Amino acid sequence: MKRRDLFKLGGLAALGTAAAACGGGAGSAGNTQLQFMFWGSTFEKAAVERMLKQYEQKNPGVAVKPLFTPDEYDVKLNTLVASNKLPDAGYVPMSMSFRLGEQGKLVNLFPYLQKYPQLAGYLPDAYLWTGQDNLHAIATANESMLLWFSKSAVAAAGVTPPAEAASAWTWDQLVENAYKLTLDQNGKRPDESGFDPKQIKQFGVSISFTYGAAWYGFLRSNGADFADETGKKCLLDTPEAIQVFQNLQDLVYKHRVAPGPGQLAATGDEVPGTNILLKTKRVAMVVDGHWSLLDMNESKVDFGMGVLPKYTEPFTASQVAGASAVFAGSKHEQEAVELLAFHNDPANVDLFAKGLWMPQEKKYYEDQAAIDSWTKNAQHPPEFRTAVVDYARDHGIPDLRNRVKNMSAISSDVLTPALQELETGKRPAAEIMKATAPKITSMLQGWHHRQDL
Amino acid sequence: MRRLETRWGILMALPAILGFLIFTIGPMAASAFFSLTDWTIGASPSFVGLDNYTAMARDELFWKSLTTTTYYTLGSVPLVLIVSFAVAMLLNEKVRGLAIWRTIFYLPTLVPAIANVVLWIWIFNPDFGLLNSLLRQGGLPGSQWIYAESTAVPSLIIMSTWGFGNTMVIFLAGLQGVPRHLYEAVSIDGGGPWRRFWHVTLPMMTPTIFYNLVVGVVGTFQVFNQAYVMTEGGPNHATLFYVYYLFRKAFTESEMGYASALAWTLFMIIMVVTFLMFRNARRWVYYEMAGAR
Repeated sequence: MKRRDLFKLGGLAALGTAAAACGGGAGSAGNTQLQFMFWGSTFEKAAVERMLKQYEQKNPGVAVKPLFTPDEYDVKLNTLVASNKLPDAGYVPMSMSFRLGEQGKLVNLFPYLQKYPQLAGYLPDAYLWTGQDNLHAIATANESMLLWFSKSAVAAAGVTPPAEAASAWTWDQLVENAYKLTLDQNGKRPDESGFDPKQIKQFGVSISFTYGAAWYGFLRSNGADFADETGKKCLLDTPEAIQVFQNLQDLVYKHRVAPGPGQLAATGDEVPGTNILLKTKRVAMVVDGHWSLLDMNESKVDFGMGVLPKYTEPFTASQVAGASAVFAGSKHEQEAVELLAFHNDPANVDLFAKGLWMPQEKKYYEDQAAIDSWTKNAQHPPEFRTAVVDYARDHGIPDLRNRVKNMSAISSDVLTPALQELETGKRPAAEIMKATAPKITSMLQGWHHRQDL
Repeated sequence: MRRLETRWGILMALPAILGFLIFTIGPMAASAFFSLTDWTIGASPSFVGLDNYTAMARDELFWKSLTTTTYYTLGSVPLVLIVSFAVAMLLNEKVRGLAIWRTIFYLPTLVPAIANVVLWIWIFNPDFGLLNSLLRQGGLPGSQWIYAESTAVPSLIIMSTWGFGNTMVIFLAGLQGVPRHLYEAVSIDGGGPWRRFWHVTLPMMTPTIFYNLVVGVVGTFQVFNQAYVMTEGGPNHATLFYVYYLFRKAFTESEMGYASALAWTLFMIIMVVTFLMFRNARRWVYYEMAGAR
């Protein structure tokens, strides 16, 4: 086809568009069509759709089409990127957001911060930067890790997991209490003679090996980190890091107070939800994210919330959720940014009050009335304030995925297989981490950019 | 009149021809081109020649996925062939309730792939799964099945026999085509069941065995669901099958150029293996009509 023919085709297409606009179609003036793409459970779907309806009511002339995509989100989003058919706004898997940001596929939100003060008042770790003054996304909601427990199980063993940072257990105290909470079919504990480790009725504690957010707080608490300050040398082979991973392995194979691989498995790597584990008392304490609160309440579990144990200073991984962004090429960029600011506001979405999300605006952690607005309800237990709100605010460290470049490839190619090996207990942590750290170092590309507002 | 028929013929065949061109040949040509580029989704592809192919030689996970897949193929294909052939032989006999038996053995094939995989996750569960419960009742030690590196692939090989229904049906059709007079001839010569099997059934079935062998090898080289749903390639890459690795490169890491090169490499491997099987077939596959080979 000659160039002239291409121009002809282009002209025809333009004429067609103009004709459609004259005909008062969907693209006509005064009728702004936005698309919002998101994932989530059926609860999240319903809540997000309610939020979109509310946005439409508050913004007459704007219609938002929800694109609910519960499975294969990254595959579908990648396909839309490749075919240049991106929606206006929506969720983006965290590690993918950095790539799309670098490629210019996401709108830089930095210039909008002045115009929309609400967007400028988020927790510092909520902002996802691709480079200086290039804010490609915000973390959809805050999420942080904590120690869940079955109230009746801990009461029966006379154990009380603390709900305040000041009284957080040491690792040794965690182990000691996990012993009291582990029971075989005959009611024997691991430190009693005749204990049968193959017939464990109730495990004391469960912590995921392969989910980075589950152990990253412990790593930092023990003075270790994933990489050095340049972000180009992996530190998982330092004595402090090795100690953390060895302690995890020891929970399963030395102390026998935690389940090994497959012992709780239902589907692949996933274990039954924390709500099921606590309700059935299969496990007495579980390290998991605060988002389980929604499921806990829905399934009427008699649960309690505690803070994570510490080594030195207590830490918890926060900002564990995915990102939200406006996609470049949106014909209604400003409306899409407004929708972005609207979509994670506790005043518009009931997922905060229901326990799935934690707010991103600082005021919801600092101002008493604002804190009460999303936590003072039947869904949030009294200890939520100290075990989650205060702990996340004062001891939260952002999840690895929004800090380390190339994390997705590092995870799937090197880190997760190493952690799976650790979980099988065949080799000690020192051996595994000393072999793994150089491999990770060869893939490290530095930390993602961060800046203060 | 004939021209009209020809036109109608072409018109009727056009959807299939267009479908083949647009949805098979087109994407294949595109992926062949992309395999020569460095293309991350969202960026523009840049031509790198054969770099993606040479990079594979240094890619530890490429070799790991290839050996894991070969291991699975070598374990699964013979096992499925033997089991399905044996069951087809049994179902070829005149037993009571034959139709019911045939249905029962074919039924697992009708279970959707993902449902099948979820079912087996429960069967393999080390704590309360069916297999370990049976072993425990027999006083035998249990296994970690898909949750331990050493037993993960063997477990999936065992699982692969579950869906032998299609292979079995083809064997059954083949068995029914074996001329009865050959069996009678063996019987007249005093041959028993073993001789009937060895001198009649097996030689006459070699074309069917060969067909099932080729289809089985091509199919198992593309094993994916088990790694995707059950193991995510783990533990410690023990079940990192080739197509799962390719999928991960393409859609998780967005390296479409490299993933396309992986796809074409698999295509070439399967082509070479199939070619070798066809060449080797001349030695052992018997066709009653010599011109049929």
